[in-house]
Amino acid sequence: MNLVWKLLRQHISIPQFVGFFFANLVGVVIILLGVQFYQDYKALDNEDSFMKADYLIVNKKIGALAGLTGAQNTFSTDDIDELKAEPFVEHIGAFTPSSYNVRAKFNVEGFVSFSTEMFFESVPDDFVDVESDAWNYKEGSSDIPIILPKNYLDLYNFGYAQGKGLPKLSEGILGAMKLQIQIDGNGQHGDFDGRIVGFSSRLNTILVPEQFMRWANQQYASGNAAKEPTRLIVEVSNPTDDRITSFLQDHDYETDEDKLDASKTTFILRVIVSIVMVVGVVISILSFYILMLSVFLLVQKNSTKLENLLLIGYSPAKVSFPYQALTVGLNVLVLILAVVIMLMVRGVYLEMFENFFPDLEVPGIGQALLVGVMLLVIVSIFNIIAVRNKVMSIWKRKE
Amino acid sequence: MNKIQLIDTLPNVFLNRTDIVSDIWNQRVEFEKEKVYLVEANSGTGKSSLCSYIYGYRHDYQGQILFDGEDIRKYSVTRWTDIRKHHFSLLWQELRMFPELTAWENVDIKNKLTGHQTKEQILTWFEMLGISDKLNAKMGRISFGQQQRVALIRALCQPFDFLFVDEPISHLDDANSAIMGEIMVEEARKQGAGIIATSIGKHIELAYDHVFNL
Repeated sequence: MNLVWKLLRQHISIPQFVGFFFANLVGVVIILLGVQFYQDYKALDNEDSFMKADYLIVNKKIGALAGLTGAQNTFSTDDIDELKAEPFVEHIGAFTPSSYNVRAKFNVEGFVSFSTEMFFESVPDDFVDVESDAWNYKEGSSDIPIILPKNYLDLYNFGYAQGKGLPKLSEGILGAMKLQIQIDGNGQHGDFDGRIVGFSSRLNTILVPEQFMRWANQQYASGNAAKEPTRLIVEVSNPTDDRITSFLQDHDYETDEDKLDASKTTFILRVIVSIVMVVGVVISILSFYILMLSVFLLVQKNSTKLENLLLIGYSPAKVSFPYQALTVGLNVLVLILAVVIMLMVRGVYLEMFENFFPDLEVPGIGQALLVGVMLLVIVSIFNIIAVRNKVMSIWKRKE
Repeated sequence: MNKIQLIDTLPNVFLNRTDIVSDIWNQRVEFEKEKVYLVEANSGTGKSSLCSYIYGYRHDYQGQILFDGEDIRKYSVTRWTDIRKHHFSLLWQELRMFPELTAWENVDIKNKLTGHQTKEQILTWFEMLGISDKLNAKMGRISFGQQQRVALIRALCQPFDFLFVDEPISHLDDANSAIMGEIMVEEARKQGAGIIATSIGKHIELAYDHVFNL
C-alpha cells in the first residue's frame, strides 16, 4: 500500500484540505454545542422528571363569592370539549379525585412516626413520565406507586424536622421506605403499601396510577357516581401562543404562570438552538461539498495513475482505499477536535451555570457524542461511496 | 485460461471499410498456451486496439472474444482484476509506467500485489538487461529503451497463461532484444504460457509457431 500511497498522494492540495478541515470543524462544533447546550439547559430547567415541560395544569378560579354560593368549580363535559376544540391543545386529561377516605402512616421505629389524612388523584398515565414498570398497579395487589409533591418533602425537611430536631430525609431514603395506606369507604377497609417513586415540583397533588384509581373508586366509593374533575392537565403545542392566555382569561381559568413562562423560555430556546444547529448543518454540508470537490479534483489529476494501477491488476477497492482512508481520517480528526472544543466551551458556560445553581447535576455528553458519531458515519459512508464511484468511472472510461 | 478465441472480431471504427485484408479481423483466430505467436501490423491497423480488447479495457468492437469459450464481455470487475493479476500479462507499447517512482519501485508495486518473484530474481533481470545502475533512478529520467526493459521485468512479476508484448523492442539494440527474448521464453516455458508479440517492422526473434498479418 505504501507505494500506491506514494503515487496517489501526488497533487494533494493541502490548502483545500485545510479549508475543508476548518469549515467542517466549525460546522460540527456548532452542531455538538447545540445538542449539548440544550441538554444542559434542560437539566437546569426541568428538575421535575415526572412531567414533561409542555404541560399546563388548569383549574377554575375560586372567587370569594363562589365559596359562599357553592358555585361549581368543576369542569363539565362541555367545558372540556370546548377546551379540547382549541387549536393550541394537543392532548387533554382530567384529574380524577378519590371518592373515599385515605389515611397514611409513616413509621420508622424510634426515628420518625406520623400519620395523616390525605387524598389521591390520578391523571391519564401518558402524562406521567415514569417507566411503565414502576408506574403500574395490578388489581388486588397491595403495592401502590405514589408521586408526592416536592413541597411536602421541603415542608418536612425545612420546617417540621428543623423545628423538632429530627433528621432530614432525602428523596433516596424516602424512596426506599413504605407508607402504610389505609383506605375506608363504602363500608369497606383496605390496607396497602405506598411506594414513593418520586417527588414532583410541578404537581401539587398526591398522584397514583390511573388503574389503581379506577379500581379503588369502584371498590370504595360510597354510592354516588364519578365526580367531575376540578383540574385538567393540558399538553399544548406551543406554550408561547397568545391564545392560551386569552382563552384562560376569558373563561376565568387559572394556570401556573411561572410554569407557562418557563415553558415559553424553553420553547424559545429550543427554537434558537434549532436555528443554530441548522446553521451548523448547512456549514457541514458545504464543507462536505468542498471535500468532495477536492477529492474529485485529485482523482481527476491522478486519473492516469489510477488507470494504470487498475490495468496492472490493482482492484478498484484497493485503488479507492487511500482516498477513502484520507477522507474518513479527516472526518475522524474533525470529530475528535470538535468534541475537545465543545468540552472546553462547555466548561466555560457550566462554570457560569454553577454560580446560579450550586448543586446542579449536569447530564453527560452521551447525546452530543452520539450525534457526532452518527454524523461521522453518514458523511464517511457518502465519502466512501463517492470515491468508489469516481474510481469506477475511471475503470469504465475506456468503454 | 488455456485458449483465447477471436470470432469475427472487428473494431467499430473499421465497420464501414470494405478493404480489410487481415488474418485477425473478421476471422476465426485461436491463441493457445505454450505456443508463440507474432502479429505483424502496419501502423493504423488496430494493433493497440487488439491489446485493449483482449485485456478488457475497451469494448468498442463487433464479434466475440472468448477465453476458454466464455465471452469476455460478461466478465465482472473482480474477474478482470483476477485475470490481470494471475492469468494475463501485458507489456504495453506505451509502457504505462509511473514516472514519479524509481525503476525498482515500478517493478515492486506490481510484485507486492502478486508476490510472484523474489527480489533476487528481479535484481538478476536488471543485471542481465544492463540496467542495474538505474534501479533507483526515477522512471521519468531514464531513456525509453531502458524503460522498455523495466516494463518487461514488471510484466514478468505475475503468474500468467499468456504474455502479450506490444512492440517490446522498438527502442532496443539487437543484443538487448536477444536477452529480452531469452528471459521471456524462459519465464513462459516455466509456466507453460503462450506468448503473443506484435511488431510494425523490427520484430523480436523468437521461435514463432504462427505469424499473423493484422
